[in-house]
Amino acid sequence: MKPSTISSPRQTNSKSVSNLMKTVLICLCPGIVSSCWFFGIGILLNILIATIAALVFEAVCLACRGKDPKVQMTDLSAVVTAVLFALTVPVGTPWTFIVAGIAFAILISKHAYGGLGQNLFNPAMTGYLFLLLSFPLAMTTWHIPLNDLTSGMPISPLSMEGVRQSLLASFPFMAFDSNMSKELIDGMTVATPLTLTEMASPNAFAAALSSDASIWSRDARTGWEIVNMAYLLGGLTLLGLKVIRWHIPLAIIGTVTLLSLAFYSPGSATITGTPYMHLFGSATILGAFFIATDPVSAATTTSGRLIYGVIIGISLYSIRVWGSYPDAVAIAVIFGNFWAPMLDHFFKPRSYGHKSKLSQLIQGLKS
Amino acid sequence: MSFLAGLFWDKSSTKAHKTPGGIKPADFKDHSLRSQIMTPPVPKELWLSLRQKDGNNLETLVAVGDKVLKHQLIAAATTPFGVPIHAPTSGQIKEIAAKLVVNAFEERQLHIVIAADGLDNSQQLHPLEMYQSISKIQLIAKLHDLGVGELGGADFPKVIKPDIANQSQTELLIINACECEPFISADEALIREKAEQVVIGVEILQRASGANNSVIAIETRMLDSIQALKAAVENRNIKLVLVQTKYPAGDKNQIIQAVTGKEVPSGDLQKDNSILVHNVGTAYAAYNAVIKGQAYISRITTLAGKPLKTAKNFEVLLGTPVPFLLELCGNDTLKQESTIVGGSLMGITLFEENVPITRKTNCIIAACSDWFPEPPAELACIRCGDCADVCPAKLLPQQLYAFSRSQDLENLEDQNLIDCIECGACSYVCPSNIPLVQYFRASKATQQDHLKQSELSGHWKERYQFHQSRLIKDKEESKTRKARVTKSRAANSESTDFSRSTAKTDIAAAVNRVKKRKIEAALKKAKEAKTEPGEGPI
Repeated sequence: MKPSTISSPRQTNSKSVSNLMKTVLICLCPGIVSSCWFFGIGILLNILIATIAALVFEAVCLACRGKDPKVQMTDLSAVVTAVLFALTVPVGTPWTFIVAGIAFAILISKHAYGGLGQNLFNPAMTGYLFLLLSFPLAMTTWHIPLNDLTSGMPISPLSMEGVRQSLLASFPFMAFDSNMSKELIDGMTVATPLTLTEMASPNAFAAALSSDASIWSRDARTGWEIVNMAYLLGGLTLLGLKVIRWHIPLAIIGTVTLLSLAFYSPGSATITGTPYMHLFGSATILGAFFIATDPVSAATTTSGRLIYGVIIGISLYSIRVWGSYPDAVAIAVIFGNFWAPMLDHFFKPRSYGHKSKLSQLIQGLKS
Repeated sequence: MSFLAGLFWDKSSTKAHKTPGGIKPADFKDHSLRSQIMTPPVPKELWLSLRQKDGNNLETLVAVGDKVLKHQLIAAATTPFGVPIHAPTSGQIKEIAAKLVVNAFEERQLHIVIAADGLDNSQQLHPLEMYQSISKIQLIAKLHDLGVGELGGADFPKVIKPDIANQSQTELLIINACECEPFISADEALIREKAEQVVIGVEILQRASGANNSVIAIETRMLDSIQALKAAVENRNIKLVLVQTKYPAGDKNQIIQAVTGKEVPSGDLQKDNSILVHNVGTAYAAYNAVIKGQAYISRITTLAGKPLKTAKNFEVLLGTPVPFLLELCGNDTLKQESTIVGGSLMGITLFEENVPITRKTNCIIAACSDWFPEPPAELACIRCGDCADVCPAKLLPQQLYAFSRSQDLENLEDQNLIDCIECGACSYVCPSNIPLVQYFRASKATQQDHLKQSELSGHWKERYQFHQSRLIKDKEESKTRKARVTKSRAANSESTDFSRSTAKTDIAAAVNRVKKRKIEAALKKAKEAKTEPGEGPI
């Protein structure tokens, strides 16, 4: 009989980090598929480039830090970072930008802080912010395949021509005719949805429907709602599977909804946008369910999570409406990350058999 | 399950209050519950440990070569914390020698070894059917003399619990029938088969403790046992409380909250809490001791594990060697890799299986890697917070883990590490396979060390400061003394006209001075004796 090295408790449940990460990836799929439907394969190219780069950087970093990449990389955290990053970067971003962003995310934001679990800031969002600050124009234009002949008319993004244009946008070196690629980039870009006035009032969804386009028609105007509803579906699935908790998504969505209701002024010169636009015309849903809920960089206590969500919601709305950036999920999440350690410190739950802080205070005042 | 248990609810039982945290691991109990409790044959040798929780509280009454009878007292308690030991069977004292005790590392303690003669002759017993006829104090003394102590999984010398209860009025007696750890089914089997005896035992404990009410807290999972108890408590002043099946429902704090709805204040050793918690096994032992007059010489122990042909509950004599029982169950020694005493979640993996059954051995698990595989590699904590959800003490294990790794004692204290009951629910749910509870055990030990160190350094600091102040005082005193002497000398040399009268007054003054100094010295001595701190060995 050899002495056992197994310490108590000797049983575990079947949950594992890699399973959690896999679930997150699967729940992102509806959103990704619908993105492809409306914007072409650009998003898949983003994901592909980002994932390969992230895995390479992760393996190198782990090896440099003296850890076994084969064991540590099974947690799939690098893949999740890469996919989330790829979803926030506009479709049609050249591959060099994506690799640069991922390099910042994995090397600086994650491993320089001590690897998974030690990073103060969400790696995917720091990677995106790095790109946004370095290449503001590229990060705020969204590429949509357009018709070559009649310029300005969108074409089916999944057609041969659409796929070719997406490939060209991601890999500019594939265009042998330099003239053509330049023209292509200029001709294809549209601004991100939040700068479209159509999105503000009346909302694009209704507008698209009234101009007898069906929900399934590949029109970028209807696209955003459908994509966001697909993300919402994935997010609710995560909630149902108890991979994430309700506190952060509810706090963010609730705060954004309340603020956009409070400041909504139809007909005024400064358009602040309807609540519907703030939820379904932007990255709020993706941010609330998939990005802000990253447990490593979020607050970890129940009350802390709620406050963390409110902070993100307020900054999200403020930056979007009064700031100079079109969409602000990344900045808001990073801003929330700054607060998380302090929230954890001050908003501890009451331990068993202890008095709550309030009752302690009351007792202190009485005596 | 809980739905089915709901069918049994009526006036005699109530649903328990909610308690925080908890997990629902696979329990493996049905294996050992298939058959009835079995009494194994008497082994050739019985090993009875003379070590008890609080050190040496026992005085051996027998010598090597002595013949003993079943139920005969062989070691008496010298302090109220000791539990007397009785011979589990008749035979001869073979030796009194150091033997391995139930532990994860090699530790040897004195054991009395009895070679059984196989006759199982008992000394005369003094059954007492009408226990109501003797006083409470007599009842407590009887229980204590016959070795009835706390028999639950937790190790606490609670034989004197009724005594403690005596000092502060006990309101409520809770009988803990929640056997929340996987594999263990000893209490469940006991209730299922001997509910009547258990209930009488509860009444005896209630009388001994002077409690006004008594409650049996039982998990909703134990359907057969609930039914048996229902029949037994009819027309008695005992209530059943059905507790939600989860681990660690059997923890004392959890049980008290489940029954009363109130949390036990942190750091309260439950001395003046007016609530007394005893195990079902204790109630059964109380029944045997008072009604049958038997000493506490046997207990119900579960044997389980994959290498065993049959898992079973045994009513086994204390001191029975573990290998003897494993063999009875058809143990496949080739398959067996280790032996666990206690449940799978909090039990101890034995250093060596050649140890006896003790008064708190409720389960023996023959372990093999099929059921207890080597845990996967430890990954980084992602702060998912699952551990905080299951923590029965409402702590934040993800934070405690971070502070444990950085040895941040201040924050560990702030996060109430001390309230961790080491149930291991956090390790069970951790998706990164971090052995959290091991980290916390280590951190608690460090905390203790640190506390001891700071106490010690505080003591020496005080001693040093006192020493310094005394040196300064001595210096000043000698200075003033010198000054006085030189002054008086100068005065003496100045006085030129020597006369009888002046000499007389001078002598009288000197005598007075000496007297005064003597008194001063005595006073100083007395004062010093009073203020000198920390005398004696450290």
